[in-house]
Amino acid sequence: MSATADKFARLAALKPARPAPARPASLRAPGEEDALGRVLGAGVARNQFGEHLAVRNWFSTPEFVDPHPVSLGLLSRTRDELLSRRARAALADPTKWLFLDTETTGLAGGTGTYAFLIGLAWWDAGGLQIEQLVMRDFTEEYSLLYELSARIAARPVLVTFNGKSFDWPLLESRFTMTRSIAAPTLSSHLDLLHPARALWKFRLGSVRLVELERQVLDAPRLGWHRNDDVASALIPQYYFDYLRGGPVEPIAGIVRHNQMDLRGLAALFCKINGLLSETPSATNEMESLDLFGLSRFLQRRGEPERAHSACAQALNSGLPAEFRPKARRDLALMAKRRGEHARAAEIWQELVTDPQDGVYACEQLAIHYERHAEDLNRAAEFALLAVSKLRRQNGTSRDPYLAARSARQEQKFLHRLARLRHRMKIGTDVPEALAISRLAGELEAESLYRQR
Amino acid sequence: MPDALAVRHAAIPTSVTRVHRVLDAFASRDVNGEVLTAVHHIPAREAQWADFPAWINPELVSAYIAKGIRRLYTHQAAAVEAVHTGKNVVIVTPTASGKTLCYNLPVLNDVLENSDTRALYLFPTKALAQDQLAELHDLNQRLDDRFGVFTYDGDTPADARKAIREKGHVVLTNPDMLHTGILPHHTRWTRLFENLRYIVIDELHTYRGVFGSHLCNVLRRLRRIAHFYGRDPQFICCSATIANPGDLATRLLESEVEVLNSNGAPAAEKTFVFYNPPVVNRALGIRRSYINESSRVAQEFLKHDLQTMVFANSRLHTEILLTYLQQANPNLPGKPQTIRGYRGGYLPNERREIERGLRDGKIRGVVSTSALELGIDVGSLDTVVMAGYPGTIAATWQRAGRAGRRSGSSCAVLVASSSPLDQFIVRHPDYFFGNTPEHAFIQPDNLEILINHLKCAAFELPISPSDKFGDVDLPDLCARLAEAGFLHLAGDNYHWTHEAYPADTISLRSITSDNFIIIDLSGEPNVIAEIDFPSALVFVHEKAIYLHGGRQYHVEHLDFKERKAYVKQVDADYYTDAVRYTQVRVLEIAATSRGAESEFSSAISFSHGDVLVRSQVVGFKKIKFFTNENIGDGKLELPENEMHTTSYWITLERPLLDSLPFSVSERQSGMFGLLHALESVATLLLMCDRRDLGTAIGERPPDASVGQTFLSVRSSLDPSSSSDFSPTRMQDAVSANAKEFFEPNLYLFDAYPGGIGFSEPLFRTHALLMQKTRELISACTCEQGCPSCVGPAGDLAPRAKEAALAILDRLCA
Repeated sequence: MSATADKFARLAALKPARPAPARPASLRAPGEEDALGRVLGAGVARNQFGEHLAVRNWFSTPEFVDPHPVSLGLLSRTRDELLSRRARAALADPTKWLFLDTETTGLAGGTGTYAFLIGLAWWDAGGLQIEQLVMRDFTEEYSLLYELSARIAARPVLVTFNGKSFDWPLLESRFTMTRSIAAPTLSSHLDLLHPARALWKFRLGSVRLVELERQVLDAPRLGWHRNDDVASALIPQYYFDYLRGGPVEPIAGIVRHNQMDLRGLAALFCKINGLLSETPSATNEMESLDLFGLSRFLQRRGEPERAHSACAQALNSGLPAEFRPKARRDLALMAKRRGEHARAAEIWQELVTDPQDGVYACEQLAIHYERHAEDLNRAAEFALLAVSKLRRQNGTSRDPYLAARSARQEQKFLHRLARLRHRMKIGTDVPEALAISRLAGELEAESLYRQR
Repeated sequence: MPDALAVRHAAIPTSVTRVHRVLDAFASRDVNGEVLTAVHHIPAREAQWADFPAWINPELVSAYIAKGIRRLYTHQAAAVEAVHTGKNVVIVTPTASGKTLCYNLPVLNDVLENSDTRALYLFPTKALAQDQLAELHDLNQRLDDRFGVFTYDGDTPADARKAIREKGHVVLTNPDMLHTGILPHHTRWTRLFENLRYIVIDELHTYRGVFGSHLCNVLRRLRRIAHFYGRDPQFICCSATIANPGDLATRLLESEVEVLNSNGAPAAEKTFVFYNPPVVNRALGIRRSYINESSRVAQEFLKHDLQTMVFANSRLHTEILLTYLQQANPNLPGKPQTIRGYRGGYLPNERREIERGLRDGKIRGVVSTSALELGIDVGSLDTVVMAGYPGTIAATWQRAGRAGRRSGSSCAVLVASSSPLDQFIVRHPDYFFGNTPEHAFIQPDNLEILINHLKCAAFELPISPSDKFGDVDLPDLCARLAEAGFLHLAGDNYHWTHEAYPADTISLRSITSDNFIIIDLSGEPNVIAEIDFPSALVFVHEKAIYLHGGRQYHVEHLDFKERKAYVKQVDADYYTDAVRYTQVRVLEIAATSRGAESEFSSAISFSHGDVLVRSQVVGFKKIKFFTNENIGDGKLELPENEMHTTSYWITLERPLLDSLPFSVSERQSGMFGLLHALESVATLLLMCDRRDLGTAIGERPPDASVGQTFLSVRSSLDPSSSSDFSPTRMQDAVSANAKEFFEPNLYLFDAYPGGIGFSEPLFRTHALLMQKTRELISACTCEQGCPSCVGPAGDLAPRAKEAALAILDRLCA
């Protein structure tokens, strides 16, 4: 049944077929008594470790999109991974990709949590081929894992959503528990949770996959509906009930849920792929908050140029007021790093009155005028302004930690003032400078007195 | 006694003279000889030496030599050799005899020979693990950091954990972390388990009772996992001196263990003094406060510049003693405090600072709970003062061992409180110094404990038909757990089928995880404490005054369903005391025996077996502070608490009671008094906490004298009648107008569901229990009974003490 649906869906898509890798072995139809197999429309797969169910489906959406080299570079550039040349080649080849999402008997982790459903997906014929491996009982776990290891050997680039901290460690642990099937080696692992969080947390707050589907991927327009979707929290209990002879229908619900998650995952990749690629059209349609998120993400992954333009674009396209100072501050820092000190100073100037970043802006301006503009008087003015801001802050706050911190900051500014005064004495005899230096001296004396 | 002290003055160095001068002063003030009830000299002992065994890696030997250890004590050499032959060993030695070398030497030697070797060290507390870490680091530095040694506990930062799992040759942890953090995640510890060669269990004697029963099960799980990775690790255990280290180790490890209990370490001359605070009211048997006396004794030592450690038995008393001593020794302006406190709640850094201060002598006095009793290295002190008997002989020696660890001369003073246990000890120095054994018991097959660990075990690895878990009937238990929905049989194996992570809900330090939280509503709602289920009924019932941190809280509402008690801070001049009724019903007699050969032997029997204990808090009394007047009471309707446990009991038959020349109420009182004393002596013999035992008196079922069955007992007692419940104490019995017992049973039961293994040993030591109880009561100088023997005189009918003794005479004869 699934095979015909498969064929029909592919015909309907009317896409030129891509050269597909070797098909997995054919499945046997489930027996009369296998209620679960029949309800799922699954086949029975067999290997040296036994049997399990496999549910195969092909979907025309999401459509295949060529991964953009720039996006891939950004996604795979994480702190702890240096990719070998072979791994890089695999990463660039979408036929080596495997989307993965598991359904488990609990969220606590540990050796007593099982993955009873392993959902796999890969690009095929312009759409997405999904294969879900289901164990009918714990006795089928080895065969399930063996199948998984074969699939990963063929497609060693794993794409997941939160798989780095949940699905993959759990599966590795399951492999260890077998003592006979080695955990397969991944050539690389793209976890989309972190990029997604960076990009959309400003706008959405939560970045659950369901939320992203609705708000970012525009699921209804694609004709995607999660009708009667299973609540994730209930999944383990449904499976336990089934094991004890309970109904099989909830498991069919879980399989559908997992299918949607896999399609969402693939679609999410396409979305992120587009945003991170350098094509200008990608950013033109973006919402200002997402642009700001993109800028932050690019900064973190070491793309200052693009981060800068995304940030500027966000400010130009009506970033909400509460995020504007943050974006300006980012811009100023990026300008400074690029050596555009005058440009940075201009932005800091705008931020001086900001309640949150005012003191920081003053400090940056003091540094700027002392080091780059060589205007000691203005440098001292800003240092003094910062001190008075800090004192005002301290007067209103009752938080002892905040008070201690601003006292430390104040000390820093007083040191700076002392140094400026010293430099001014050497360099000039302008009365104005003396006035400032006197003022600074008083401030210092006062603070010493207060400390006592 | 003063003579004995004076003799020693001549030949000994100054600090000793100072110790003796203070003791002399005490002795001269003790005119009647009632205060210093014992002065016991322990002569110095020479070290007995042995060479490093030839098979030890020469680099390791040079590392030890560089530390100043040129030769081994004989017991260390013996232990190291025994480990080398592959035996499980338990090393029994007093404090400061170099026991850590006994396990570090063979373990490190193996690591140096084969860098794959892994060892797991278990300490009962995090602080001890930290202390050992410092010692191992020192050795490691001398060996060019050749091995990885780490602590792994709740304080280990998450980013360091991965490296520890891979690189730790020696991992130092505690049973709780093993239980919740390591075993359920064993796949992350593959490296360790595949190469696990040694498991070191230090302070083995602390694993008794509930904690020990839990540990035994944790070890069963550990061995099962090690077996899964193809290892059968060897155990090296260290224990303080207890009566049955071999038994305890064998039960905990469930395999053969060799006991090594010689000691080749040198010891300094030491004086051990029992100090009984003077009596201020002889009729009521009231003595001066032992807390004040302890502070006075410690102050005498401090005045003579003797570095002193004071042990108190509770956190509260630690703080009180600390306040007294700090007031008496104000620190000079600008100088750090020389008297410090040390207990569980202090932060790790502060504790390390205190330990350092003690070692280098900057801190002159420290007041501690049992936290410093175990092997934390604080150097040697001159004197130790114990405020109250620590509860066991072993713990007392451990604490006393803090004074004069290797050389010099020192003194330990035990200041007795007026509790029966303390009074028995100070009045029977022979019992203490004669080293009469104390036993440590565990009951790993307590069903509640066992089931919980079986769940964890199933979570860790599916349970296969070939699995072993002690001697328990695994298939049967697994089938029951499967029925309850925790496990599922697939093929031959039982798999865990529950979302929860079972180890999280099981605490190794107590038996039930069912807790009430106490919420203070005085200001912003604030959780101030937690209390376990049985205690909650007694301490936080509605209208109770709950004492916490020296403050009083009135319980406004007890939410039984949600397990919450809401309290408000008040300033009241009274506290409350719950009135509890307990009923014990015998379910099954495991063994029964007649009393000693005498004219009454046919009228006495004692037994042990399974019982059902139902208890209910039925009301409370308001007691005024200081005067202890009863200023009112209230009724409560709280649910009944039922538990199935084990008990030991004595049956007094009619002929015996008829033979007593006392009135009915005197007889009743005598029985309650006897039970009070029995409980004290039983805790002494069992080496357990007073709270571990419950007591009750109940009517023996008429037809239950021989071979009784569960059914006949049930039919003979009508559970619905209120007279079914017996008051727990005499004072409650009086107010309840209880009718006279015809043939009473005196029960001492295990206060834990399922029992914890005390009943059978009590049954076995029945004769000793009777004899010691008689000694306790007859040696007490009070007239009519006091808290130190049969209970406070005010609660009992006159002549209760005589009646109790008369019953005992017949029991012992």
